[in-house]
Parts: sequence; structure tokens; C-alpha cells
Amino acid sequence: MLKRPSCRRNTHQDPLELNLVPILDAMVTLIGFLLFTTSFLAIVAIESPLPVSSSSEVQEQLKEKPLQLTLSVREKDVEIWSPFQKIAPKSVANNKEGQIDIKAIHDALLEVKKKFPLESNAVIIPLKGTSYDDLISLMDSVRQVEPTDLPIFLKNEKTGLDEPVKKLFPKVVFADLGET
Amino acid sequence: MSSIRSRRGRRKVHKGFELQLTSMMDALVIIVVFLLKNYNVSENSFTSPPGLQLPTSGSQDTPNDSVQVIVTSDALTVEKERVLDFIQTAVNAGAKEATYNFKPTDLADGGRKVVPLYDALMKAREKSELLLAKSKARVDGKPLEFEGILAIQADKKVQYTTIRRIMYTAGTAGYRVIRFLAMKRET
Repeated sequence: MLKRPSCRRNTHQDPLELNLVPILDAMVTLIGFLLFTTSFLAIVAIESPLPVSSSSEVQEQLKEKPLQLTLSVREKDVEIWSPFQKIAPKSVANNKEGQIDIKAIHDALLEVKKKFPLESNAVIIPLKGTSYDDLISLMDSVRQVEPTDLPIFLKNEKTGLDEPVKKLFPKVVFADLGET
Repeated sequence: MSSIRSRRGRRKVHKGFELQLTSMMDALVIIVVFLLKNYNVSENSFTSPPGLQLPTSGSQDTPNDSVQVIVTSDALTVEKERVLDFIQTAVNAGAKEATYNFKPTDLADGGRKVVPLYDALMKAREKSELLLAKSKARVDGKPLEFEGILAIQADKKVQYTTIRRIMYTAGTAGYRVIRFLAMKRET
């Protein structure tokens, strides 16, 4: 009579295999959805209100002689000034390449913001030939506080705490729309 | 003897071919994580036409949908509809730089207002006001007010004189805010 075969050998089972197919299906669907809905073209916007023709409200504001920070772009420099002489006019010369010195203008505006932390308006008067690229760079330097800038603190009325200013002069207006 | 051999042969029959999915799963998980990290749902339908080089900006404001003007090297487009062509002269036809010159017949108000653009903006405004009137959204029983926002997409070389004409025309057509579009600057 033959010896009975070992039961250990007979009961050997294959390792359990996870069925990955449904997970794979879900992954492929998810990737498709994400690729379809995500926006790879990162477009951002800078808003500028169109100037209002002198209403009674504006006339009232003008009586208080606001800062009305103005940047006049000229051929060789940009002048930062106030029509009500709230700040001493400052001329920022173009850089060696003849381009607007955005960094120097930004630094000058930081100094103005330190003196007038509550001010949020700025007026830009570009040249006819100023390029759209320069306009955007100029508006950025007027509006944004860069992460590398020294923080300017402003007291929060509600909390009573000093908080860093997040925007420089966010309301940018173009002044000479009516000119030909 | 032969029967034992055939049994052994039967035992060696291979199972069906199994695809190794683990490495593929790894790759897919990495792709999903990457896409989720960079996921950015757009709230607008702004697209940039080929060849148009937008300037870059550090602004963080993503624009909502609004009426849009695109200034390409040869034409002005409002809501994807070509409203006017710039003058193409023999001088600028072969030039690398676009000149963005308007035809005198397209200008009014001493050269400040662009007539075909004004007509297109008024049309877009009327359409928008009609939609607002039909909408159920109401403030004090009245339909919502026309927002009056105009988005401008222009090549970075476009000069301010062209932008100013567009802004002036928008102002005369009842638009109150200009939204300058740019590419987000990588930090």
C-alpha cells in the first residue's frame, strides 16, 4: 500500500492577490476629470476703475486735499508727486537700458506708504508709447507689496493690533483718458 | 506509465497571463497627486489666442467672466468676434513689430473713440442687461445692475495710446471698470 501523500503539500494556497482593476478604472477616470477641468493657463487680472467726471462727492474729497499720489511717466524718468504738495516730488530715472526702473519706483512708493499708510489710491499718467508690459509692471509695483519688502504695519481698528499692510496702493486709475 | 506522464503534464499547465499593475498604479497615483496639487478650477472662459504674448503680473486676482476685448497684431476682437482690422500698410506688412494703427473712419471724438468697438460693446452690454432682466436674481424687486467690467487682453508690445482708446470707448459705452489681463508670474 502506498503512503498517504502529505496534507501539507495539498493545502498549499497561492498568495492573495488584490484586484486592482476597479481602482485603476477610478484612477483613470479621476485623471481624465482633473485634466479636463483644470486650468493650465493661469490668467490674472489687475482692475482699474475708469475715472469719474467730477461728481459732488469727488469735489468734497478734493476740498480735504488728499494725497492723490501721481506717477507721471516721461521719456527718461518717472515722476512721483502729489498735486496738493503732500509729498516732495521725486524723479526716478530710467535704468541703463532705458526701461522704467520698476524696483526704484517701488522702493520710493514704499516710503510714501510709510507716511500715508491709509492711502490706497494712485494715479498713473503714462506716455502714449508706454507698452502694455510696462503698464502692467508699473501697476504691479504700485499695487503689490513684495515678500522681500520690509513690512509696514497698520493698526487694525477692530482688534487694536498692528498688522502688516498687504497692498500698497491697490486702486490705480489712469488720468489722461480724455486726451487725444 | 504513460498515464502518470500525462497527469504530470496536465499539472504544469500555466495559468492565464497576469498583468503586473502595481507599477502602473504607482505612476497613476503620482499623476493624481500632481494634478490635485496643481488643481486650479478656472472661473472664466478666458483663452489666449496663439501668438499673443501677454505680460506677466504678480497679481493674485483671478478674473471672473466678463466682456473681453483682445488686441491682436492685426485686429480687435470683442467676445471672439472680430470688430475691426488695423491698417496694414506696405511699411508695416513686412515689419516685425505690429503698429496697431486705426483707420480714420473707425475713429470719432477727435480720435479718442473707436466706433466699431463702441457698437460691439453696446451690443454686449444690451445682451448682458437682457440676461439680467430675465434672471430670477433680484435686488429690491429690480434686476441686478450691469456690472460694467471690461477685460482687456493685449500683447505686451501694444502701446498705451491703443489701450487708452479702448478705455475711453468703454467709458462712453457705460463700462466702469477695466480689467487688465496678464499671465501669472511664477514665484
